[in-house]
Amino acid sequence: MSGSKIINKKDIGKLLSQWNEEFVILVPSKEGDTTKMAKWDGKDTGFIDWYRNTVQASKTNFFPPMEEMFSFQKDKEGYHIGLASSDKHKQLIFAIRPCDANALAILDVAFKDGYEDPYYLSRRKDTLLIGLGCINPYDSCFCTSLGSSPFDSTNVDIMFTDIGEEFFIEEVTEAGKELVAKTEGLREASKVDEAKASKVKEASYNKVTRKIDTRDIDKKLLACFENKDYWEKVSAKCISCGICTFLCPTCYCFDINDELVRKQGTRFRSWDSCAFPIYTEMPVENPRLEKWRRVRQKVCHKFEFFPMNFGVVACTGCGRCIRLCGVNWDITQAIESVPAII
Amino acid sequence: MTATDISQRKRFFANGNIYLPHIAVIEKIIDETPGVKTFHFNFKDEKLRKEFGFQSGQFAEYSIFGVGEAPFCISSSPTRRDHLEFAVQQVGKVTNALHRLGPGAEIGCRGPYGNGFPLDFLQGKNLVFVGGGIGLAPLRSLIWNAIDNRDKYENIDIIYGARSPHDLCFKYDLDAWDKDKTINIVTTIDKEDKSWAGRVGFVPKVVEEVAPSASNAVAIVCGPPIMIRFTFPVLAKLGFTPEQMITTLEKRMKCGIGKCGRCNIGNLYVCRDGPVFTYAQIKNFVSSEY
Repeated sequence: MSGSKIINKKDIGKLLSQWNEEFVILVPSKEGDTTKMAKWDGKDTGFIDWYRNTVQASKTNFFPPMEEMFSFQKDKEGYHIGLASSDKHKQLIFAIRPCDANALAILDVAFKDGYEDPYYLSRRKDTLLIGLGCINPYDSCFCTSLGSSPFDSTNVDIMFTDIGEEFFIEEVTEAGKELVAKTEGLREASKVDEAKASKVKEASYNKVTRKIDTRDIDKKLLACFENKDYWEKVSAKCISCGICTFLCPTCYCFDINDELVRKQGTRFRSWDSCAFPIYTEMPVENPRLEKWRRVRQKVCHKFEFFPMNFGVVACTGCGRCIRLCGVNWDITQAIESVPAII
Repeated sequence: MTATDISQRKRFFANGNIYLPHIAVIEKIIDETPGVKTFHFNFKDEKLRKEFGFQSGQFAEYSIFGVGEAPFCISSSPTRRDHLEFAVQQVGKVTNALHRLGPGAEIGCRGPYGNGFPLDFLQGKNLVFVGGGIGLAPLRSLIWNAIDNRDKYENIDIIYGARSPHDLCFKYDLDAWDKDKTINIVTTIDKEDKSWAGRVGFVPKVVEEVAPSASNAVAIVCGPPIMIRFTFPVLAKLGFTPEQMITTLEKRMKCGIGKCGRCNIGNLYVCRDGPVFTYAQIKNFVSSEY
């Protein structure tokens, strides 16, 4: 038993205050009708009771729906370009779910590949992720089919497990270890605590009942790429609203546009979606004018193309695209019905 | 917000912010056809002007500040360094704004991006260029490159077509290549036209008639998607293998560096892995994604 710790749930406020001295802290927060990871107000720890997972994935903290890339102005000498000064600070996300932490690891790969994306990566730098395992996964969750689990700590720095009145705390990375070492108010975990945590983890694992079979899924998708009947069937009820892509923790498509107000210009980027026909529209042709082609792109990007490029499926099984879809489109049904290779 | 002086940034591929354009100045504009113009430009920064390097087939992202950004291939040859060129068909927001510019106007430019033509692979081979309309733009960068290194290549054949005589781009190049004894050039138009005494017929059909030999040859094809789609089977019939067919593709692109997502064909991004591909690379997807 190396270094696991225990904290009483009612002391979470004190713990966050302590960390708040060094970090900007983001916690599960309600904002209007939605929930997302947002700056902690220094007091409220009510999320411990209501939080299952945020509606908006934590990608919004690193890759916001809209952001300024640079500004430009014109004077007598011509155009000048200005970069917004980035406020550099250490931040800590508390209670991120394993699926969303895994999603950030996937986005890291995409934004680091080839040319590095300075906007995303500068926000990712100096961020500590404190994971909170799921004891109450949704029906729509299917993380266990993607090599993960409700207590997967692969991509967090410290992992919290809810064992009733207390949290069981495990250090994962060196940075996590350092933070735990200088944190006051934690007690050493006992064998009994450890046993409790194991039991909770096992029970949670078994609560994830939705399953998909991802064996050879990339090969199966490649084989049925031209199977129009299959894709038309799978995409039939999709209304191309794009909400699944906006809520998906691993979707990262974006658009770039300019805005000009009284000679002060801004270039900004905003989320875009492969669900929209205009996404690929060209003057002469649109390769994905028909809906089934766009649904095919979405499914194949996650389960075929991304794995071909980076060796990992671009889905973490968070289930948002299932539980928040307006017409009950279900990616697990799509994956499960991909024809077998004959 | 502090304004950064463009000239202070180090080099084109600096580890800084890849999305920031450099300021460039339009020096000359050529009306190619009623809807196509070629822009000659240079970077404002003298140092960058000297250091900037690119390969035939690569593209850049061009900004009209306040309107937006769009990708176009660099249509001049890296062997001719006096200025850079790109050709633009007037079709959308950014291209319309570009067409309204005059000499002296400032634009933004970042790049070069993409892979360019595989010169090592092409050397010592017979080059068969097949172009349609403004699709000649990336090809002409390679054609002039090959002409300026003529001893490195064997035969050069060019088959180029456009809808009508008015739609033939780079007529000054076509004339120059026609006069060049070391090059065979065939130009064609889609439909009969009173002002045209030359060959008539769609490009794929003309390729079939001209029937270039596949022996030690590479076909380099660029044009509208429909022309590319119909040309590949013709070349295959003539004995060209998928590895002997090269094309350079155009897709809607935004970032130019493989992030924004929209220009993929299967797992390949036209901006990151292309725009130059062998047919072997894209044949699994070409029928329905391009």
